[in-house]
Amino acid sequence: MPWELNSDRPIYIQLVEQIALMIFSGVYPLGSKLPSVRDMAKEAAVNPNTMQKALVKLEEDGLIITHRTSGRSITEDAHMLEVAKNRLAQEQISEFLGKMQKLGFDPKEILRVIQNMVKEMKK
Amino acid sequence: MSAILECRKLTKSFGSKTAISEVDLKVERGQIVGLLGPNGSGKSTLIKMVNQLLTPTSGNVFIGDKKPGIETKKIVSYLPEKNYLNDWMRVHEIIELFSDFYDNFQPKKAYDMLKKLNINAHDKLKTMSKGTKEKVQLILVMSREAELYLLDEPIGGVDPAARDYILETILGNYRENATIVISTHLISDIEKLLDYVVFIHQGQIVLTSSVDAIRDEKGKSIDALFREVFKC
Amino acid sequence: MLRKLFKYEFKATGRVFLPLFASLLAFAFISRILSVFDFQQTFPVFISHTIYIIIMAGMFVMTLTVMIQRFNKNLLSDEGYLMFTLPTNPWQHIVSKLLVSMLWITASVIAAVFTILIITYKAGAISETIRGLSLLISRLSEYWSVSASFTIFEVIIAIFSTLTSGILLIYASIAVGHLFSKHKILASFGAFIILNTLAHVLVNLISLVIKVVPLANIHISSYNFANNLPAIQMALAFGIIIAGLKSAAYFAITNFILSKRLNLE
Repeated sequence: MPWELNSDRPIYIQLVEQIALMIFSGVYPLGSKLPSVRDMAKEAAVNPNTMQKALVKLEEDGLIITHRTSGRSITEDAHMLEVAKNRLAQEQISEFLGKMQKLGFDPKEILRVIQNMVKEMKK
Repeated sequence: MSAILECRKLTKSFGSKTAISEVDLKVERGQIVGLLGPNGSGKSTLIKMVNQLLTPTSGNVFIGDKKPGIETKKIVSYLPEKNYLNDWMRVHEIIELFSDFYDNFQPKKAYDMLKKLNINAHDKLKTMSKGTKEKVQLILVMSREAELYLLDEPIGGVDPAARDYILETILGNYRENATIVISTHLISDIEKLLDYVVFIHQGQIVLTSSVDAIRDEKGKSIDALFREVFKC
Repeated sequence: MLRKLFKYEFKATGRVFLPLFASLLAFAFISRILSVFDFQQTFPVFISHTIYIIIMAGMFVMTLTVMIQRFNKNLLSDEGYLMFTLPTNPWQHIVSKLLVSMLWITASVIAAVFTILIITYKAGAISETIRGLSLLISRLSEYWSVSASFTIFEVIIAIFSTLTSGILLIYASIAVGHLFSKHKILASFGAFIILNTLAHVLVNLISLVIKVVPLANIHISSYNFANNLPAIQMALAFGIIIAGLKSAAYFAITNFILSKRLNLE
C-alpha cells in the first residue's frame, strides 16, 4: 500500500490514520508482528522519530502492543479493534455531517441522499 | 544530556558585510533539523563555523558543550556544498583515508552503498560525473556513525531521481540518537523528514519551531510558511 | 595522526616524484650506454643528455612547485574542507607537509648525485672517491683538535635547518596571503619579501648585539682554513641557532593562522 502524506497536517497523525486503516483492512492481521520502526519509516520515506511517535499513539489507542523483547505486534483483541474502528467511523461521519450542514442540508435530507446513493451503488 | 549544537551570539563578517549576526541557537539531540533560508542567507557560513573552516568574528560555537577542535571533529560528519575530494585518488583509497582518520567510519556500509549504485571502487574520481562525485561524497559522510551530521545543500542542483536517492540514503543511515542538520532552500522535498526547523534570513534566525507545531497550530506546510516568511 | 598524515602526504607527492626519479635514472642509463657504444659524442648521446638535464631541472622545479601546491591547494582551497575536518591539529598538517617536502628535496639531491655518477662512472672511481674522502677527513682531524666528523655533522644540521626555515618561510607567506580576501597570491609574495627582510634585519641586530659572527672575517682558502676552524664552527652554530629561531617564528605564524584565522571561502 502506497503511503500518501500531505505536508499541511502533522505527518504522525496521517501515519496513525493510515496504519489504522491497514489494520482494519487486514494488511496487518490481528496478532501479526509489525516491521521495525526503521523499516516502516524507510518504507513511508519519513523520519523514524515521526514513525515512532505514530506507533506510540496507536499503542495508546490500544491497536498495537509493545513486547518488551520482540518488538511490536497488532492487538489480538478483536473487540478492541471494533472499538477503534467505530471511533474512526464516527470521526469520519461527524466530519462529513459538518460539511453537509455547511452545504445547507438538514439531517433528514442527508439521510435521504445517503439512502439514494446506497441504492444506486447496489444497482 | 547537553544540546548537540549551540551558538551564542555568533557573528561573522566579511569585510563590511555581515554574513551571520548575533545568532543564538540550540539544537537538541536525536532529531532531523532543517536549516532553511534563501540563497545567501548565511546557512553555509553558519555550518562552516561549526566545522572550524571559518573563524567567527565574535561569539561562540559549542558542539556537545565543547568548542570546535579535534574532539568535536571526531563526532561531526560534514557534507560541504562543494566537492572536497581530490581527483587523483581512487574511491577505495578515499575509503581507506576515511577509515584511517575516523574511528566511527564503517567501510562496509560505504562499499555496500557503492555497490548498489554500481560505482566501481577502483575508479578514479577524475573519471566520474559531477553527480556521481556528489553521491560518493554523501556515501562517505553517511557511512560515519557520527553524533552530528551537517549536510550543506545535499539536494541542491540534482535531478529528482538523485534527490530521492540522497534522501533515502540520509534516512536509511539515520540513527535515532544522532542529529542531522540539513541546510537547503528546497523545502517541499525534505519537509516530510524534518522534526524541527530553523529559518534563517540575512544572517539572523527568524523562527525556530517543531514541525508538528507549525502544522498543528498554523495548519500550514513548512513550505507554505517559508513562502510567507520570505515573501519578497 | 601525524604518521597517517605523513603517509597520505607521501602518497600524494610520491606519484609525482617517483616517476621523475625513474625517468631520470632511465635517461642516465641510456646516456651511459649510448656513450659506451659510440665513443664520439654524437647526436643520440646529445639528445639523451639534453633530456636528462631537462628532467633534472624539472625535478628541482617540481620540488618547489609541489611544496607550494600541496600547502596552498590541499589546505587552503576546496580540499581544505576535508583536511581541516579530519580530527587532527593544524600543526600536524604543517609538520607532515614540511617533512615530506624535505624528504623529496633530499631524495632529489641524492638522485641527481647518483645519476651523475652513473653517467661519469669510470672503473674504480667509487672506491677512489671513498678513499679520498676518508683521507680528507683523517687529515682534517689531525689538523683540528676536535674531530672533523663533528664539523661535518654540524654542516649537515646547518643545511637541514636552513632548508627547514626556507620551507616554513614559504608556508608562512602563503598563510599570511590567506588572510587577505583579495589578491591572495600577490599578498603572499609581499609577505615573503617582508618576512625575509624582517628576518635579515633581526639577524643583523642580534649579531651586532652579541658580536659573535665573524663570518665576514673568514676567508676560506686552503692556507688558513684549518686555523679558522673554531670560527667556522662558531659561525655554523650561530647559523643553526638563527635558522632554528626563524623556523620557530615562521611555524608559529603559520600555525596561528591555520588554527585561529582560517577562512575557507
